Amino acid sequence: MEGQGAGFRKELVSKLLCLHFRDKKTRVSTDAVQLMAEMLRIFVVEAAVRGVRQAQAEDLPCVDVDQLEKVLPQLLLDF
Amino acid sequence: MEDASAEEQQRLTYQQKLKAAVHYTVGCLCKEVAADREMQFSKQTVAAISEVTFRQCENFAKDLELFARHAKRSTINTDDVKLLARRSNSLLKYITEKNEEIAQVNLEQKAKKKKKPESGNQEAAESVAEAEAVESVG
Repeated sequence: MEGQGAGFRKELVSKLLCLHFRDKKTRVSTDAVQLMAEMLRIFVVEAAVRGVRQAQAEDLPCVDVDQLEKVLPQLLLDF
Repeated sequence: MEDASAEEQQRLTYQQKLKAAVHYTVGCLCKEVAADREMQFSKQTVAAISEVTFRQCENFAKDLELFARHAKRSTINTDDVKLLARRSNSLLKYITEKNEEIAQVNLEQKAKKKKKPESGNQEAAESVAEAEAVESVG
């Protein structure tokens, strides 16, 4: 299923989430971890792709922080 | 007092390790997008995306915890994740589809394990151990 392409490892996702839980008893089901890994992957890819579109609109060969800054607000609103 | 600051140090180092791992994955994903769209990403851009992703995880984690607690559960499940994806229709649709894909794959894997009793026991034990590991982390 997810053999192609890079992605977030389940163990990493689990640790990232658990880092911020306020209650020690909070746990995450394995399915939820997989789904969150996908969610994070989309987040990163969306940020990257929107950055690319911005750079293309500005006729630039490279996505720099300036382009990222322009797409960040809408990205955060969409998530 | 010394213990508290040592603990704080440990927590910061742990965070740094996680950030580094996120940065690596973000780098890989940016490379894929770059190749696909024939566009370059500056190092600062990759670092910035990585930082934003790490911070967004904090928001996600806290929201997920609150959703589960609101439903009187201590284990976060896929319904909580779907609720997280509510702000954009296309995102919600994609996540819902992915959820069904994942459920389907897991179902098929379980069916395979039932057909192979010898190796199946080993795989079942591994998946139980993985589930326990996921639960015990943090």
